[in-house]
Amino acid sequence: MSAPRERLRRVCIVGGGQVAVLTAVAMRRTLPDCQVVLVGTPADPGAYADRALTALPFTNALHERLGVDEQQIVARAGGSHRLVQRYFGWAAPDSMGTMAYGAELDAQSRTRFAREWGGGPRNAGSGGRVAGSAAHSLAEVLADAGRFAVPPAGQATPLDGIDFGLRWNGPAYRDLLVAAAQARQVVYVPGTLEGALRDAAGGLASITVAGQGAIEADLFIDCSGPAGSLIALVAGDAWHDWRPCLPVRHLFHARPGQPLLALEDRATLVPQGWLSAVAGRDGLHLVLGYGEKVGEAEARAALPGQPEALVEIAPGCRPESWVGNVVALGDAAAWFEPLAHLNLDLAHRQLALLLEMLPGRPIEPLERAEYNRRAALMAAGVRDVLALHYAAPQAQVVFGQQVLPESVAHMLDQFTRRGRVPFREEAPFAPAEMAALLLSLGYPAGKGAQAGSHDAAEAAAARRAFDQRAQAVLAFAPPYRDFITSGAQATGNPVTDDLQY
Amino acid sequence: MGEAQARLRVVVLGGGTAGWMTAAGLAGLLPHRCTVDLIESEDIGIVGVGEATLPHIRGFVEKLGIDEAAFMKATHATYKLGIDFRDFGRIGESYIHPFGSFGEEVGSIGFHHYWLEMRRQGLAADLGEYSLAVCAARANRFAPPAQDSSLASTYGYAYQFDATLFGPFMREHAKGQGVRRHEGLVVDVERDPASGNVTALVLKDGRRIEGDLFVDCSGFRSVLLGQTLDEDWEDWTHWLPCDRAAAMPCTHRTADLRPYTIATAMPAGWRWQIPLQHRMGNGYVFSSAHLGEEEACRALVAAADGDPLADPRILKFRPGRRKHSWSHNVIGVGLASGFLEPLESTSIYLAQMAITYLIELFPDGGRIDPRDRAEFNRLVDMEYDRVRDFLILHYHATTRDDSEFWNHVRTMQVPDSLAGKLELWQRAARIEKYSDGLFYDASWIAVYVGQGMLPQAHDGRTALPDPARVAGALDRLRHEIGRQVAAMPGHVAYLNSERARLADTAV
Repeated sequence: MSAPRERLRRVCIVGGGQVAVLTAVAMRRTLPDCQVVLVGTPADPGAYADRALTALPFTNALHERLGVDEQQIVARAGGSHRLVQRYFGWAAPDSMGTMAYGAELDAQSRTRFAREWGGGPRNAGSGGRVAGSAAHSLAEVLADAGRFAVPPAGQATPLDGIDFGLRWNGPAYRDLLVAAAQARQVVYVPGTLEGALRDAAGGLASITVAGQGAIEADLFIDCSGPAGSLIALVAGDAWHDWRPCLPVRHLFHARPGQPLLALEDRATLVPQGWLSAVAGRDGLHLVLGYGEKVGEAEARAALPGQPEALVEIAPGCRPESWVGNVVALGDAAAWFEPLAHLNLDLAHRQLALLLEMLPGRPIEPLERAEYNRRAALMAAGVRDVLALHYAAPQAQVVFGQQVLPESVAHMLDQFTRRGRVPFREEAPFAPAEMAALLLSLGYPAGKGAQAGSHDAAEAAAARRAFDQRAQAVLAFAPPYRDFITSGAQATGNPVTDDLQY
Repeated sequence: MGEAQARLRVVVLGGGTAGWMTAAGLAGLLPHRCTVDLIESEDIGIVGVGEATLPHIRGFVEKLGIDEAAFMKATHATYKLGIDFRDFGRIGESYIHPFGSFGEEVGSIGFHHYWLEMRRQGLAADLGEYSLAVCAARANRFAPPAQDSSLASTYGYAYQFDATLFGPFMREHAKGQGVRRHEGLVVDVERDPASGNVTALVLKDGRRIEGDLFVDCSGFRSVLLGQTLDEDWEDWTHWLPCDRAAAMPCTHRTADLRPYTIATAMPAGWRWQIPLQHRMGNGYVFSSAHLGEEEACRALVAAADGDPLADPRILKFRPGRRKHSWSHNVIGVGLASGFLEPLESTSIYLAQMAITYLIELFPDGGRIDPRDRAEFNRLVDMEYDRVRDFLILHYHATTRDDSEFWNHVRTMQVPDSLAGKLELWQRAARIEKYSDGLFYDASWIAVYVGQGMLPQAHDGRTALPDPARVAGALDRLRHEIGRQVAAMPGHVAYLNSERARLADTAV
């Protein structure tokens, strides 16, 4: 007879940023009889999962599961919605590509049977892997028109299946999470780490916090940022270096500019590197990422706006992010530049994985191995998506040629010659999303083998069906500003009238 | 549309199920890319055992533009919601592996963890009670699933059909798509001395059929891939010792038709019962090292639940797969590429899977790119290996010690890829997760639990909520399932209400 595992009695989370606080909330929710201690260490400016002001659609679902109210983020933390990510200058000097997210692109996998039973994309129904169909999305139609509203739950609308990335004001969002953590009696201990005591099983017995003494726990979660101050104690310096494929070494952050309400964010290739622009109701957030060959003065000159912070980065990941009883999340597990909004997305997907695989006492080595297997696939998927950016035609001009991971070479070969995106377990994007990203970056889709088999009438019919849906979403969705000002209590910040950049 | 590209000449060798599916798929989906010639011989019988299918067959049929009703009528098809496995874990026990899932996860904890906890407390019913597909099957009822994400969308369905009619149905369809059929025996295979590629097949009467791409659907003989190219065979007999099947149709005993297949474990293998519109398909899959052919036939006849319609016939096979299913310009599809016994009705799926990948990776510009060949082989191997491990589980997860056969499979060393999964399940009730290939969590849980391989421990968080509340939620799910099943028509009634799906001679 199967017995319930003995539950964790105390979990200790180290880190002061949004990843640590959300993790603490998640642990208290999933283990209401467990003491959760949050050791608030000073924030590391290079912790990009903590600095992130936005994430991907996965985070919306995680928020809902953890009781973090999206409407509250919009009302009280300057929340706004990104429907598309635009890429300027990656394919060619004056090119523009657009990537949308989500379920709308993978409509066939809607039924629960299709999601849960197996057989991959050949699951019951007319599934296919036609890359070209992702080039135009309803999300882009809405972004172009500046119209959108989050449809009310529980009723069918033309906007169903349109996914978005949520943005917010960093401190206000963190405050919301802190309030949630306090409401759930997370024990907060501010301070710095002084030391740690190893246990006999390759993990930690306790950690010592300055002025607080020793804290014992069954499970330690390291959200301390790139230093990985706990995981480094048990895992040593084991590290997968991503530098050969990812050339950016410095990130120059500008002081936030004018508040901006927009349904799109941008990544623009400039002669010095790339410029990321995230529109916020609290201001436009610009970051310049550049490589070794660009000097600080040159980068400073290329940054529109006042420089605020300069961060040095050496991207890579831990080969095993769970060692002994220490789990690394966020930058402690994988450290990389804020391009494509993957930093917090990866942290949140790994947090969700930990919630799914949450150990008991004692920890089973096999479940730790299974966690590490899947977490490593997630990290590798992120590296691959980033490497794809630097292999784009114009990125090679700006950054020079990088080492192409074999998995990326395989994907590019299959996409550019055959128009197909090989499925990857635990990848950050579904195949249809990957196809949209690849097109945005300037990789031409190879003709699918079936291209040309569909007659012109069929193509015209598909076009008409799309146009009809586009009319329906445009008729249904209000101007985005109306939606934000009607639903959201003003945050005090005036918002520019210009919906476009 | 587009520039005219010289069409590749595809030659399909073999007119069985795989051969005609391949021909219909290529001609139907790549009409501008290839011409298709198919060679078959009336002197060579077809195996045609794959009577029970998986839900994916529907996507294939739909993509080819075939009307479901016409297809069901032509193949005397019934609906299938899963397989009832009897006597596998222990004699006298049975469970249904459904085309569907069990319950719903709550707060990122899989339903089966809650079920294990409630069962420990004596508050849970049989796992199958929480699956709409299982309950509908047990009640002999059927209705098509919903296309949303509600409870009614938690299952899928496939068909049970007459495989000897499926091939001919696909043949008529393929011929309508322009596939040229050649009757004859291949006596010689011509190859290009430089590349080793096959260039032409020579028939007994001297005809030469030239081609650019050859699809070997010659069954176990594997004329091109195995005999001509001598492609290595990875043998899996030590894990899956069954190497024979005795097959025999019989009449229906009752007017009611089950919307599921029965697989009953036998002393030296297992026995299938597949209800078609007009008859019952029966077979005994056995290990010749443990049972003689005559004894197997006698056991099959004795067990038949109806009057025999023919003498039992014996089929021989070997479980395993070619090291490379695509070598040179030859692609193996179906038994020529690999074989896994029909325990989970995967034969037609595996052929369909290979055809789908071949279409995706069909040579571009008249030239085979080695990268596409490698990609095809990677995908095909992944699919076969995942199914293989899942089949081995059915034999290994048992307490049976009543025969040499069961003693062997119970105690054998399983592949490492499976051993890790088993231990993870036993220690922590967790399933190694993947999202490609066949058989996800729900399938593994169905077999583990159904065959009595319960874990030692499950997620401790399931003991947190008030047991009465969890039990209440489980009961509500059961009642909702019961309500929806009660609202479904009977399987036979549903078939009868859709006259276009009925064969003229059936029921």
